Amino acid sequence: MKIRDITIRAGRSLKQAKARTLLTSFAIGVGAFTITLSLAAGVGGRAYTDQIVSANTNVNELSVTKAQPTKQKGPQKYSSSTSNISNPLFSAEPLTESDIAVIQKVDNVVSVSPNYNPQIKYITRAGQDKYVASISTFSKSVTLKYAAGSTSGDLSDNQIILTEQYVTALGFADNQDVIGKTVEIVADKLSAPILNPETKTFTYMVVAVSSKSGLAFRAQSSLLVSNSSAKNLYDYINFGTRGYGKFIVAAVQVNGEDKAQSVKDELKAKGYDAQTAADVLGVINTFINVLQGILLGFGALAILTSVFGIINTQYISVLERTQQIGLMKALGMSRRDVGRLFKLEAAWIGFLGGAIGSGLAVISGTIANPLISKALDLGDISLIVFTPINLIIVVIGLIVVSIMSGILPARKAAKLDPIEALRTE
Amino acid sequence: MIEVKNISKTYGKKDNVFKALTDISFSIPDGASVAILGKSGSGKSTLMHAMSGLDRPETGEIIIDGKNILTLKQKEVDKFRSSKMSFIFQSFFVQANESCYDNVSLPLEIANLSARTRRKKIEAALEAVELIDKMKSRARELSGGQKQRLAVARAIVNSPKILFADEPTGNLDSVTGEVVENLLFDYNKKNGVTLIIVTHDADLAKRCDIQINIKDGNIESIKRNK
Repeated sequence: MKIRDITIRAGRSLKQAKARTLLTSFAIGVGAFTITLSLAAGVGGRAYTDQIVSANTNVNELSVTKAQPTKQKGPQKYSSSTSNISNPLFSAEPLTESDIAVIQKVDNVVSVSPNYNPQIKYITRAGQDKYVASISTFSKSVTLKYAAGSTSGDLSDNQIILTEQYVTALGFADNQDVIGKTVEIVADKLSAPILNPETKTFTYMVVAVSSKSGLAFRAQSSLLVSNSSAKNLYDYINFGTRGYGKFIVAAVQVNGEDKAQSVKDELKAKGYDAQTAADVLGVINTFINVLQGILLGFGALAILTSVFGIINTQYISVLERTQQIGLMKALGMSRRDVGRLFKLEAAWIGFLGGAIGSGLAVISGTIANPLISKALDLGDISLIVFTPINLIIVVIGLIVVSIMSGILPARKAAKLDPIEALRTE
Repeated sequence: MIEVKNISKTYGKKDNVFKALTDISFSIPDGASVAILGKSGSGKSTLMHAMSGLDRPETGEIIIDGKNILTLKQKEVDKFRSSKMSFIFQSFFVQANESCYDNVSLPLEIANLSARTRRKKIEAALEAVELIDKMKSRARELSGGQKQRLAVARAIVNSPKILFADEPTGNLDSVTGEVVENLLFDYNKKNGVTLIIVTHDADLAKRCDIQINIKDGNIESIKRNK
C-alpha cells in the first residue's frame, strides 16, 4: 500500500473522531507552545544582548583589573603596600600608575585609559538650581542615541553631553535650545582642610543631548566629557588623597580585534584580569541560556505527559476499529501497513498539536512583543524572535515523538488476528 | 483449481481439545460455484478461513494454482489474498463513515494501484451493483441490501479469481437477498470466477454447481447439482 494512501486514510479516520483528536493534540500543543516561545525568547534575548554589548563595548577594548586574590580563607593580612579601594559593596585591589605603565608596554596595546569617575559636587548654570550629577568618560565605541546635537567623532576638552532630564531641570526651553550653551560643574578639592574648603567651577559647552535608548546601559544618567576633561576633574578633586592615582578598572585599547585574546593572555600572566567584549557577551548569554533551558524543560515535561495521552488515544482507536483492521487484513493488507496506518495517525496528531501550539505561540508572541518592549522601555527592540527553522524543528520533532508514542498501539493493531476481529456477535 | 488435502484443525489445549475440522479433502474446478453447507459450529467457517489463508490448519495442504498456500510466508499470503481473493461477510463490514467510493477503493489501495487506475475500476464496480449514483454518499446512509451490494462491489473491484461469501444473505430479507444472490451468480457465470459460499441456507446451496455438506468437522456428502 502506498504511503500517500495510508496517510490519507489515517487523516480520514482522525476526522471521524474530531473531539478526541483535537483534545489529544491540545495536550501536545501546550508543550509546543512552551518550547516555541522559549526558543524564540532565547533567540531574541541573545540578539538583544549582542546588540547591547556591541553598542556599549568595543571589540578592540579590554577592561582590565588587577587580579584579585582568590580562594582566600579568612581576612587578608595587612601589609604597607596593601591599599584597597573599598566600599560596603566591594573591595578590590586597585591599579596604580605603575600598573598602567606596565600594561602600556604589552605588545599590541595602543592606549590605556583609567576609569576616572570624578565625584563632582553639582551641576548648575546661571540663575538655576543645583543638581547632583555623575560624570563618565565619553568613548567613541559606545553607540548613543541623540535627542539633539551630535559629536564629530571624539569630544574635545570643555565639551559635554547632557542627558534629557537635565535639559528642563536647568531651565532650557527644549533639547535644541541647549546646544551651544554652557553649563557649570562645581567640584570640591577633597584634600583641602575641612575648615578651609576649596571649590572650583569648570565650564563646559553642551554639544549634544543623549536620549534614553533600549541598548545603552551606561551613560543613561551620566553626563559625558572627554577623557582629558575627566582627568582634569579627577586630578583637581582627588590630588593629595590616599586614593589618588588608584583605579579599579582601566580601558585598554588593542591593535585589532584578533589581538584582544593574546593581549588578555599576556595581561593574565602579568597578574591582571582582562575582559573582552566577547567575555561580557558570554556571561550574559550563559544567563539567558540557563533561563531558556528551564523553560525548555517545562515544555519537555508537557510533551512527556502528552505522550501518554497519544498512547491512550491510539489504544482506544485500535479497540474501536477492530473490525476495520480485521477487514483490511482479510483483504490482504500487510502487518507493516496496518502498523503504519496507526503510526501515521499518531503523526497527524503530533503535526496538529505542533501546528496549533507553535501557531498560538507565534500569535501571542507577536501580540506580547510590543507590550514587553514598552514595559521594559526597549524602544523598537523585540525580545521574542521567531525563526522559521525553529518552528519547523518543533513541528517535526513533535511528529517524531508522536510516531514513537504510536508504536505500541500500532503493534497491537498489526498483531490482531483477522478471524477474531471479524467474528460477529 | 483449488485442491484441499487432508486438512485438520483443532482448537484449545490438552483436556479442552476441540476438533473443528477432521481430515477434509476435496477439489474445486476453476469457475465453479460451491456451497459449503452446514449448521452453526459445523466447521464451515473454519474451512473457509483455512482455504483463504486467514487461518492455518495444523495439517494438510491447500493448493491453489499449483501453490500450497499453507507453506507461504505471511507476506506472500497477504499478497495472494490481495491479488486473487476477495470476501463478502454476513454483516457487510462496510465502513459506515466512509463514502461508497472510498469503501470500494480499499482493496485497490492495498493492491498498490495508483489513484488514476483505481477510479475506472471503482466506477465499473459500482456500476455493476447499481450504486453508481451513491458514489459520494456515506455508507451509513445505505439500506442493508445496498450495503451488501456495496460489499459485492468492493469484492469484485480488483477482479479476483476466487470470491468467498460468508452467509452473504444472512442479514437480508428474501427480496434483497435474492438481488445479492443474483449479482453473485451472474458475476460467477460471466467472469468465470470461482464462487465459494458458506451458508446454512439449503435453498441458496441448491443454486450452486457443487454442494459440500459439513457436519461436526467432517464432510458428510458432496453433491453436484445439475
